[in-house]
Amino acid sequence: MSGGFSGRCLTAAIVVVLAWAAHAQESAPIATSHATVTLVSETAAVEPGKPFRLGLRFKLAKGWHIYWINPGAAGEPPRLDLGLPEGAKASDIAWPTPERVRQNDEVMSYAYLDEVLLPFAVTPPAGLTSFPIKAKASWLICEKVCVPEEGELTLDLPVGPASPSVEAPLFAAADARIPKPSTDAATISSDGVLTIAGGDLSPDVVREAWFLPASWGAIDDLAPQALNVATGKLSLALKPGPAFDPKATLAGVLALEDVAGRERDLSIVAAPQAGTASAAVPPEPHRSNGAVAPAASDSQSLLSVLAFAFLGGLILNLMPCVFPILAVKAMSAAGLAGRDRGVVRLHAASYTLGVLVAFGGLAAIFVVLRAAGAAAGWGFQFQSPAFVAAMAWLLFAIGLNLSGVFEIGGGWVGVGDRLTRRGGLAGSFFTGLLAVVVATPCTAPFMGAAVAAAATAPPATALLIFMAVGLGLAAPYGVLALAPGLAAALPRPGRWMLIFRQALAFPMYAAAVWLVWVVGQQAGADGALIVLSGAVLIGFAAWIFGATRTSARRGRAIGEALAAAVALMALLTLDRLAVAPQGATAAAEDATVYSPDRLAALRAEGRPVFVNMTAAWCVTCLVNERVALSSDRVKEAFAKRNVAYLKGDWTRADPAIAQFLREHGRDGVPLYILYPPHGEEPVVLPQILTETAVVDELNRMGS
Amino acid sequence: MRKIGLALTIAALGLTIAPILAGEPLKIGVPAPDFAGIDSNGQTVRLADFKGKEVVLEWTNDGCPYVGKWYRSGAMQDLQREAAKLGAVWLTIASSAPGEQGYVDAAKANADTKDRNAEPAHVLLDPRGAIGRLYGAQTTPHIFVIGPDGALAYMGGADSIASTRIEDLQKAEPYAREALEAVAAGKPVPHPVTRPYGCSVKYSS
Repeated sequence: MSGGFSGRCLTAAIVVVLAWAAHAQESAPIATSHATVTLVSETAAVEPGKPFRLGLRFKLAKGWHIYWINPGAAGEPPRLDLGLPEGAKASDIAWPTPERVRQNDEVMSYAYLDEVLLPFAVTPPAGLTSFPIKAKASWLICEKVCVPEEGELTLDLPVGPASPSVEAPLFAAADARIPKPSTDAATISSDGVLTIAGGDLSPDVVREAWFLPASWGAIDDLAPQALNVATGKLSLALKPGPAFDPKATLAGVLALEDVAGRERDLSIVAAPQAGTASAAVPPEPHRSNGAVAPAASDSQSLLSVLAFAFLGGLILNLMPCVFPILAVKAMSAAGLAGRDRGVVRLHAASYTLGVLVAFGGLAAIFVVLRAAGAAAGWGFQFQSPAFVAAMAWLLFAIGLNLSGVFEIGGGWVGVGDRLTRRGGLAGSFFTGLLAVVVATPCTAPFMGAAVAAAATAPPATALLIFMAVGLGLAAPYGVLALAPGLAAALPRPGRWMLIFRQALAFPMYAAAVWLVWVVGQQAGADGALIVLSGAVLIGFAAWIFGATRTSARRGRAIGEALAAAVALMALLTLDRLAVAPQGATAAAEDATVYSPDRLAALRAEGRPVFVNMTAAWCVTCLVNERVALSSDRVKEAFAKRNVAYLKGDWTRADPAIAQFLREHGRDGVPLYILYPPHGEEPVVLPQILTETAVVDELNRMGS
Repeated sequence: MRKIGLALTIAALGLTIAPILAGEPLKIGVPAPDFAGIDSNGQTVRLADFKGKEVVLEWTNDGCPYVGKWYRSGAMQDLQREAAKLGAVWLTIASSAPGEQGYVDAAKANADTKDRNAEPAHVLLDPRGAIGRLYGAQTTPHIFVIGPDGALAYMGGADSIASTRIEDLQKAEPYAREALEAVAAGKPVPHPVTRPYGCSVKYSS
């Protein structure tokens, strides 16, 4: 219990004060090697006809436990056979709320550890001279093994005016954990959602909640209980157990903990809910203490999938592989400085339109490929080396443009009035298009789930989901249009823009180099040779184009024709690239290549398995491997727990990996899954890993 | 830096999409999952081998006081003999891990069977808990009855009173016996799902 210290001080003070006047009323103990058990009274003397309380007091050896009235699957509650004087009556035990003790991956117990008092009320008859009590107690006490124990207890209480005994504070302490009957309306749906409506419930007063069923089998005791709290209402998604009856009431204890860690236990009887639908409280995901449902599940509305998709798009802006595009965006934002609000809005709209058109195109390709039965997943276009090569050249060409090797119309020229309104808007539009094309390999958080939803959704819904991702990606730029103040705060155009622009060429070159490396992974050294040769041709074409810009009209025409011819030569080599021999797979020396059979075999052996689904074109994957997975601490933790490390390389299309991703509700990499030993439920790790996150997850598995 | 922190937080919160992959819980009337195990005589035993016969699975742990009640009284042995008479295959399964209470090797398993004068068709050694986890065996004893059609007919306790007292055997509703007899007679089992009671199975962790 929290607040325990002051509580204990108070208790101690009361004990000291009372000890002076009161008498100890505790029986001689039954002492075993695991427990000391006594019978205690709350009053020092029994007043005829006046109810008082007795309690069975357990002091348990460290690590040993006894059971609640519903022990869970194993064990049994203590039993007490009372021998009371003629005419006296006893109530049932008022069971304090127990602890949840996970015995192993099959059994959850409801049990008491350390010390507990099980109180019950006794009503003595009217005429009395003495009150001798004889009791036979029996209990099962378990640590790893279980031992049934029993013994007899006797307590002689004097008759007289009732006054608190020395043991009275024990009863007060027990009362704090005895559930209070709840007046709140409680219902249980046919699929196990428990809903409580009460005026004092709110996200502030309920941080955690757990339901403990009064009898065995009503719920799956091991399953997580997903909590949702709204003002005046809370719901817990319980997993029905083998004895769950959707038409019957569900009785048990609701244990609540508030933000300050104070606990409160309510005894509730939930009425079966009419109908079948569960009216769960609208989700507030940060209040959830259980598993989050996959995004594609039926119960999740399209709206929340769209919200996730939007968030995913928004976060794409922060992903490492979008960095070059951020540069382009920063560039065009700089170009907007000093222009009027209408123009700024038009640019934002153009950019957004570019993003949406690109996502629309991707959605169309996605839907068509899916229909064709292709294992289409996020980033799938990057599995084609020809596509990657073309992207490398595009980024290289943009870099050359930024470096000033050539100029196109006025589109990229930020200085002065050469920037025509129309050309500028087209520039914004294409920046949007480009942002999407380059951003795709970074499956941002939320995106995976959203796209997985799209994978199984009807085409119209899939399109909506893609559009939501696009809107998210475009949102920061859109903010410029909606908050003109921000645009006004941008610096005025000047020479600095030229220098800035030239500096931005380098991220483009770097991104191009990365893409060349990806082609190398996909198509080997020959593939890299083709891309690099193509890059030289592209550079040559750009130089011809740029050098002839200032010539007379005829010279310009010749230059354009020559540049186009050279660029075409590069494009023609793409055909060769598609059939280039495959390079070596990217599995690291410390990992084994993933295959479904290998995974099944390792799990059958009872070994823990860590599966890493990755691709060379996925920057997030590479960063994770660098930062988290190849650190010594993680390697050590893997070795210590004998974790098998399987790596699936999705750099090229692989139906087995696509299938694996889909099974886990994903359509893209990275995906990290930890399979605990012995067939326990696997854990999906976040898409952005840290060393600590991995080690913590391993530790949790070990416990 | 703050942006990255935010992104990480959101990612951690939102994307820990726990797959709901746990095997379907066992259901009455649905084919019981097949398994293969090594028995105390080194023989491989498959559930599928007994198609057409009634099969009883009994989880055991010799050190557990609840199992003790059933064997000291001879009640479990009686059930095993009755099963044999009815043509049912009785499989006693030990899923305790090495070093845990109830772990047996082949020699110890055979010695126990002899000492207890028990009569199971086979004692399966399941120290890794593979069969136990497949069936979600929680306690010792925990009883499963599978019909000749391979469908699960009963799962739960050996009887209705969770105690270690032999005298309670007489007062309890004999769930396992009812199930064994009902399936043999081709009748529906009166209480197909009951609370398994006993010690928790001492699985390897």
